[in-house]
Amino acid sequence: MSTTLASPERQYEIEQWYYREARMLDGRQYQSWLALCHPEIRYVIPGRGNPQVPNRERGKEDMISIERELEGVDSDGLPIRDETMAYLMLRVERSFKANAWSENPPARTRRIVGNIEILGEDDAGALSVWSAFHLHYARPGSASFLYAGQRRDVLAPGEQAGAYLLKNREVILDMAEVAYPTLGLFL
Amino acid sequence: MPIRVHDVVNHDASLVSRKAWSDPHLYELEKRGIFGHAWLFLAHTSQLPNLGDFVQAYMCETPIIVTHGNDGNIHALINSCSHRGLPVCRADRGNAKSFVCPYHNWNYSVEGSLQAIPQEQHLEGRTDRSLLGLKRVPRVEQWNGMIFGSFDEEIEPLDDYLGDMRWYLDAFFGRFPKGIEFIGSPQRWVIDANWKLPVENQLGDVNHGPFLHAAVIPPEANAEVFELGRSVVTAPGHGATFRLMPEGAPLEQVAWGFEGMASLLAPEVHDYLREVQARAIESVGPLRSRMKGLTYGVFPNLSFLWSNTAFKVSHPRGPGKVEYWSWSVVPADAPDAFKRILRGNHTAFFGPGGILEQEDSEAWTQQRIGSEIDFADDRPYYYGLGLNEEKPDPELPGLVGVTANEFYARNFFLRWRDALAAVEDEA
Ligand code: FES
Ligand SMILES: [Fe+2]
Repeated sequence: MSTTLASPERQYEIEQWYYREARMLDGRQYQSWLALCHPEIRYVIPGRGNPQVPNRERGKEDMISIERELEGVDSDGLPIRDETMAYLMLRVERSFKANAWSENPPARTRRIVGNIEILGEDDAGALSVWSAFHLHYARPGSASFLYAGQRRDVLAPGEQAGAYLLKNREVILDMAEVAYPTLGLFL
Repeated sequence: MPIRVHDVVNHDASLVSRKAWSDPHLYELEKRGIFGHAWLFLAHTSQLPNLGDFVQAYMCETPIIVTHGNDGNIHALINSCSHRGLPVCRADRGNAKSFVCPYHNWNYSVEGSLQAIPQEQHLEGRTDRSLLGLKRVPRVEQWNGMIFGSFDEEIEPLDDYLGDMRWYLDAFFGRFPKGIEFIGSPQRWVIDANWKLPVENQLGDVNHGPFLHAAVIPPEANAEVFELGRSVVTAPGHGATFRLMPEGAPLEQVAWGFEGMASLLAPEVHDYLREVQARAIESVGPLRSRMKGLTYGVFPNLSFLWSNTAFKVSHPRGPGKVEYWSWSVVPADAPDAFKRILRGNHTAFFGPGGILEQEDSEAWTQQRIGSEIDFADDRPYYYGLGLNEEKPDPELPGLVGVTANEFYARNFFLRWRDALAAVEDEA
């Protein structure tokens, strides 16, 4: 990955991609959202644990790094979600059934995506993009919740010029305990 | 006047009051009568391979540290300092030389004894440290790597407590030459529900599947449960559900893992699972090799979801809240890459974001709402489906019924009622 500063045009293009994605997800247009995903997508929400603080690392930033708390796909731990296109398709299919009870009535979500930072580009033109989000969740009969987190994405160039497909997403949730009604959302 | 236990569950437990699910006084009785006198699951030895390893656990609401002591033994200690009560361990799991309390740095060994009181260097007197170790869970025993603890010093041995559930659990464990392994930390999530409903769900309520999960579970899978499903109660509060596949059924139809999508994605995992099933007649015998498991329960709050290989514990957090823990379990002898794939069989479908289990969390939350409403106390919940239709079986230990028979739940509530009644008049 190269790490040169993204051009203003590129930054604009990518920000627009994220706004469009957020509009689709909050608008419950999951089928349209799926079209933004690469067929080889990996969609992951790592578990977030409370590891021992290593005293030997004291004084260094690494001592309290977020990475230490994550149980992701390559860890020996237990991710909350670890999914491919097949799983996402199953979720989307389910969302449009009346007996998907945890979403009937569906939740009302609104997310603000910000801090969109293009961190690099590989030889095939895939971009590594990190961003942050706040998502407000309300569902009839239930309390409201705030989901906060970070997305660590890889956007691969699509067929058409300027198009991008989501190839990798790791969602780092900033939670002390999982007290949300569901983590089955598309975050 | 507090509610009387015998008014909550009727003589054959075909009726169970809504109060059983919501009343704070009954919850206090549950803590003493059930959680004070049962074997409670703590951890699996695969989580504690090295000296000094520890994991956190709960016994009801009491925080426990489970450690692999330098003496080679497993210890279960209440995570609370003898000085002012702070937890002495904050990490979920790890390896420790000792536990140091944050407040005044009292220092405890991983076996729980108090090793140092730093303040003493400025004092003349010496405190008897032998009485001030972390409080130990008085009974800790293991079966097949499963570590249990009990607050009841007089409780029967774990082997007797598990009884014939060992035979049913071994139908799975015994398939793998090195047994099973727990991976990582459990998924833990908080649900606004009573702890007993997740328990009941896994103890024998496989018949909610075709209904609650109709959006995801295909009708063929449900048909197999209706036709070949068995529900077993080995002792009140313990239960197992599975399909008993016909003799000579193709390996793929019986083998664990073939129902999940994860196995569809990797042919080498297919081969591994088929191999395991091919050996099952030798490893667990002809009858148990035909068992294709669904869900199990061990009284009071341990569940085993064979189909997606998770062990679960339903930790009460008051009458209307539960902290649910769910560990992925994999064959210990499988290559690491396979373990990660098999882990997906659990994480995609179960847990707080699980495609299936999000519906369960929803149902359990909604049940709490029904259990807390006014003006319906004269309408207890109906537990009478299949009353007295269960029978002993020539081959399978315990009482056996079809999966629609709710005898697993009636038996649970009979044991629950007696356990609470035994303490309700204690001062
Ligand atoms: S409270 Fe633990 S040392 Fe004082
Ligand atoms: Fe379920």
